[in-house]
Amino acid sequence: MISKPPSRSALLSTSAASIIVFLAVWELICRAGWIDPIFLPPPSAVFAKAMGMAGEGTLIGNVLASGRRVMIGFLAATAVAIPLGIILGTSTYARAAFDPILSFLRPLPSMSWIPLSLLWFGITETQKYSIVFMGTFAPALVYVIEATRNVDPLLIRAAQNLGANRWQVMKEVILPGSLPQILSGMKVILGLAWTCVISAELVAAREGLGFLIMNGKEFFQTEVVVLGMLLISITVLVTDFVFRVLENRVLRWQR
Amino acid sequence: MSQADTSSMISVQGISKHYGDFQALQHVDLEIAKGEFVVLLGASGCGKSTLLNLVTGFDRPTGGRIFVNGRQVNKVDPHCGMVFQQYALFPWLTVIDNVAFGLKMKGISKAERHKTATHFIEMVGLKGFEHKYPNALSGGMRQRVSIARVLANDPDVILLDEPFAALDAMTRQVLQDELLQIYEKSKKTIIFITHSIDEALLLSTRMLIMSARPGRVVTDMVNDLPMPRNAEVQLSPRYNELKSQIWDTVQSEVMRSLKATSH
Repeated sequence: MISKPPSRSALLSTSAASIIVFLAVWELICRAGWIDPIFLPPPSAVFAKAMGMAGEGTLIGNVLASGRRVMIGFLAATAVAIPLGIILGTSTYARAAFDPILSFLRPLPSMSWIPLSLLWFGITETQKYSIVFMGTFAPALVYVIEATRNVDPLLIRAAQNLGANRWQVMKEVILPGSLPQILSGMKVILGLAWTCVISAELVAAREGLGFLIMNGKEFFQTEVVVLGMLLISITVLVTDFVFRVLENRVLRWQR
Repeated sequence: MSQADTSSMISVQGISKHYGDFQALQHVDLEIAKGEFVVLLGASGCGKSTLLNLVTGFDRPTGGRIFVNGRQVNKVDPHCGMVFQQYALFPWLTVIDNVAFGLKMKGISKAERHKTATHFIEMVGLKGFEHKYPNALSGGMRQRVSIARVLANDPDVILLDEPFAALDAMTRQVLQDELLQIYEKSKKTIIFITHSIDEALLLSTRMLIMSARPGRVVTDMVNDLPMPRNAEVQLSPRYNELKSQIWDTVQSEVMRSLKATSH
């Protein structure tokens, strides 16, 4: 059976309808009184809360606080992981030296760093950055090493044959050659960075989306909890979109 | 002989190469003079590419020494520019930056290296494609870029490893003619690998026929077809005379290696 491929607008309206139906059912269940709003507030209440907080400025303030922590921790981790990963990916000796440390760091979830980071830095911004850094650095490094191994060895030969030395091969061939895979890895890492910052904020923070959720729970403001979760999703979606736009610009040559 | 013969551009002295028990090359001696266009001809597995990889320094010989322009090869040597069958262009660089790559490695300024690159891009007939990425080019055009990239680097020797094998017959013929013109203009020493007798006869000034198991040079013959040449040379009686002569040698070698591989 062969059917015509559906148009883009038909698919988009199907998705939109799905959201509307989902919200409507949720709203109706709450209105009908089947669920206590303490456990699940209706979407209208969440929306009203969002409007109220937006008016006070606390909505954007919490988004920005978490966003800043994610960006700083993520950028610091990638700034170290990319050059180090390229060196480790190309030098077997550096790899042998670093591998034991890496295999020790890799299985540690970011949550397990929270007690130490609190001891070292207290409830500070630095502590949040360090959690994001520790949670993303090892996986980022693994992505970069893996990406460098997929660079066509023929291109490395060609570059050496044209007179490139070891350093030039890394900078001019391995880095650009592994960039597509590094960037797609970084997209995953960015999602991971959000997980790290939220867990850090759930444990100890004075602002941020994780703090918002935890604070809402303390005061039985379930609509704040749901709003916080919604904001996390939206922010991650937006950063993912921005990242994809950047990726397309950097990798123009692939098209 | 402890020193390289000064009159020769490439001097291969008693080269052998083993991969474990497999003997890829057995005691190959070879002198190639400046300006020769040498074609290495042989069936697959006869060690042609192994020999080329030793001359460029990509690989180390098990025994023997190689000199290029008087210098012993002991690392990858940019004086031997290599044109690969699979083009090996950098997909993230435009045509002009691919061609200028070697000059960039030497630290030559952008303006100057782009000037040189433009000259060689025009020489291979790709004017107007300077700012395209390799993905946007056909196989024949990519191989032209690859040739221009090697020429721009001004090596002593140009090595081509079955450069036209992946191209269609028409494109191949055009590029063969272009390569002959480039050879006549640049007077570079060229080593070209192929398994096509026609390609060997059309391009070379000298042909080395190689045999497998173990890889060695079995016939070394001068190609006296007059230069400048083009595809029409294939209609001359001398061409056919040389062709049947080569075919006799190649055929017996191929039969021998077929027997050796069949069980």
